[in-house]
Amino acid sequence: MIGELMEGVTEALNGAAVGRVSTREPNWLRERRDHAWDVYERTPMPTTKLEEWRYTDLKKKLDLGALKLSEAPPAPDRAEAWPLRLREAMALDREASGRIVLFDGHTVHTELDPELEAKGVVLCSLHEAVESHTELVKEYLATQAVPPEEGKFAALNAALWNDGIFLHVPRGVHLDCPVRITRWFTESGAAYFSRTLIVADTASRVSYVDEFLSDDFEAQTLTSSAVEVIARDGAQVQYVAVQRLGRGAFYQSVQRTLAGRDSTLDTLNVALGATTTRVDLNARLLGPGANSDMLGLYFGDDNQHFDFNTSQDHVSDNAGSDLLYKGALDGHSRAVFRGIIRVHKGAQKTDAYQTNRNLLLSPHARADSLPNLEIEADDVKCSHGATVGQLDEEAKFYLMSRGLPRIAAERLVVLGFLGEVLSRLPLGGVGHKVTRVIEEKLGHDV
Amino acid sequence: MSDAPILKIAGLRAKVAEDELEILKGVDLALGKGEIHAIMGPNGSGKSTLAKVLAGHPGYEVTAGTVEFHGKDLLGLEPDERSRAGIFLAFQYPVDIPGVSIANFMRTAVQAHLPEGEELDLFDFQDMLLERMEMLEMEPAFAERHVNDGFSGGEKKRNEILQMAVLKPSLALMDETDSGLDIDALKIVSGGVNKLAEENPDMAILVITHYQRLLGYIKPHHVHVMVEGRIVQSGGPEIALELEEEGYKSWQAHELSAGA
Repeated sequence: MIGELMEGVTEALNGAAVGRVSTREPNWLRERRDHAWDVYERTPMPTTKLEEWRYTDLKKKLDLGALKLSEAPPAPDRAEAWPLRLREAMALDREASGRIVLFDGHTVHTELDPELEAKGVVLCSLHEAVESHTELVKEYLATQAVPPEEGKFAALNAALWNDGIFLHVPRGVHLDCPVRITRWFTESGAAYFSRTLIVADTASRVSYVDEFLSDDFEAQTLTSSAVEVIARDGAQVQYVAVQRLGRGAFYQSVQRTLAGRDSTLDTLNVALGATTTRVDLNARLLGPGANSDMLGLYFGDDNQHFDFNTSQDHVSDNAGSDLLYKGALDGHSRAVFRGIIRVHKGAQKTDAYQTNRNLLLSPHARADSLPNLEIEADDVKCSHGATVGQLDEEAKFYLMSRGLPRIAAERLVVLGFLGEVLSRLPLGGVGHKVTRVIEEKLGHDV
Repeated sequence: MSDAPILKIAGLRAKVAEDELEILKGVDLALGKGEIHAIMGPNGSGKSTLAKVLAGHPGYEVTAGTVEFHGKDLLGLEPDERSRAGIFLAFQYPVDIPGVSIANFMRTAVQAHLPEGEELDLFDFQDMLLERMEMLEMEPAFAERHVNDGFSGGEKKRNEILQMAVLKPSLALMDETDSGLDIDALKIVSGGVNKLAEENPDMAILVITHYQRLLGYIKPHHVHVMVEGRIVQSGGPEIALELEEEGYKSWQAHELSAGA
């Protein structure tokens, strides 16, 4: 017992680790992991010489060599035993169609509305789904959406993922409340690799909220997330990631959405915590009538660093995408937004928009915005825009002259600024939560 | 008028904060309870600067003189503390705050005006806001609009008066409230100010204006003429009428000859 624990604690990120995490898995999956590890080893670590990593220097921000695979023991499925912060987060999630709570990557609690279960909705760990829904998992896991070839982190995640969630919503089934995933991390110095696979069948509807939570970490801790969302024809899907990790965390997330004909596939990334945040989001519009709203919110202070790398791939004609990322930056925090709209050959009648707005609350904060267009069709409507504004003294004076202390004035302006994004959330049950967590962070600064 | 003045300014000098440019060059002024004073003067005379300095604008630095408000030093207070002490500045150019509704803004302001630890009752606030809007003949939907965002000139000034009605100051500073208003808007805005003055007869008002026009609607007890950072004449409302006829030229000429 002690030997096993010791071994776990010293498990570095290497080829042997791949073998260990896949011990009880079917051959096809083990082969996929091995292949992913090959790709990982062949792919050089991105440097700032690459345009996509120009502003995030991994040499300085991430020490992969110091990280160990997490081997924390499972926590009990007893809410009373969970940390207060986790319970508070869940208390804000009033309505839910289903829930999973993960404690250091272990699924400690799963629930799903029995009516939905009867209709064939599946919400379970990815390990289970490998056995129970082999065909779907085989078809989509690290294949079309986030294959290892996507990049160094996608490969590392595909090789080493050790917790995962699988959600399948069958044809025509609607979930009225969000599915809520709450992840709690405790092990300082660990690397966590999670995967999410969502398959929404024809004309189904689902909203999925993925929350990442922890206290501050003493040593750097990596939470790597790979998210694959498939919306088949006419499905309506909303994926929301709420990142509220403690300082010391390096949050890295690769997300890809595949939107079929007449489907709606919206995403929202909320980033408030962690020391470093890197999100690679790619929306692929694969059928006519598909639409993706891509929303983002971030609010930084101290030395927090956010890097959003987004792309909108219009493969099909007659599809739409509309991106709005807004962030407020205080202290010495910094944000990078790099977005590209790619209209592929033949994707006529595309409507694609991209907007990034930043509000600097401190003279030491910094925002870089790099919007881009790549258009290979001639009958399209596309636009992009970026702004970096300051909370100017005049606005602050105006609010203070009505009796608001400086902090309250800033807080009001930030909530107003970010509120535009919240007002665009199409499916319910999320806006309230996100408003509350932003308010909590604003309160934290007082 | 036997009461001690609400506001007492003595020898006030002020300059632009990051500059040597002196704008107020020794201002003396006292306002008593319930008094309406007007300061008139040409562009660049310093009259708007005086209003901003009294409200604590960070763009100016006081270099000499004292200001007492209700008998206490005002100049050491932050702008929010001055507001809570009872000063209200109606801005010449109100600032837009996108995404923040007037109701939310006012709720936050009223909360800030409460003693520490006291929680604002949201229903009471809602009732109070609606009552204030009704008094100013404003549609309730106005409170849901974002502060000054996309407002017309008239709407911005009405919003200032609404805030004043909600916060109930003991001293209102009205900085060029008439600028950018057509005659109808001017009537509405000054009507609102008069109602508030009626409601609170102790409130003192300092009206800063370039033109006599506004003073036909908000009738001052005292008029002061400011030229080049100093008050050069004080008297009754008749001064405003004289200025209407003669303009500021004689004053500026007078200054020049006095200086020569």
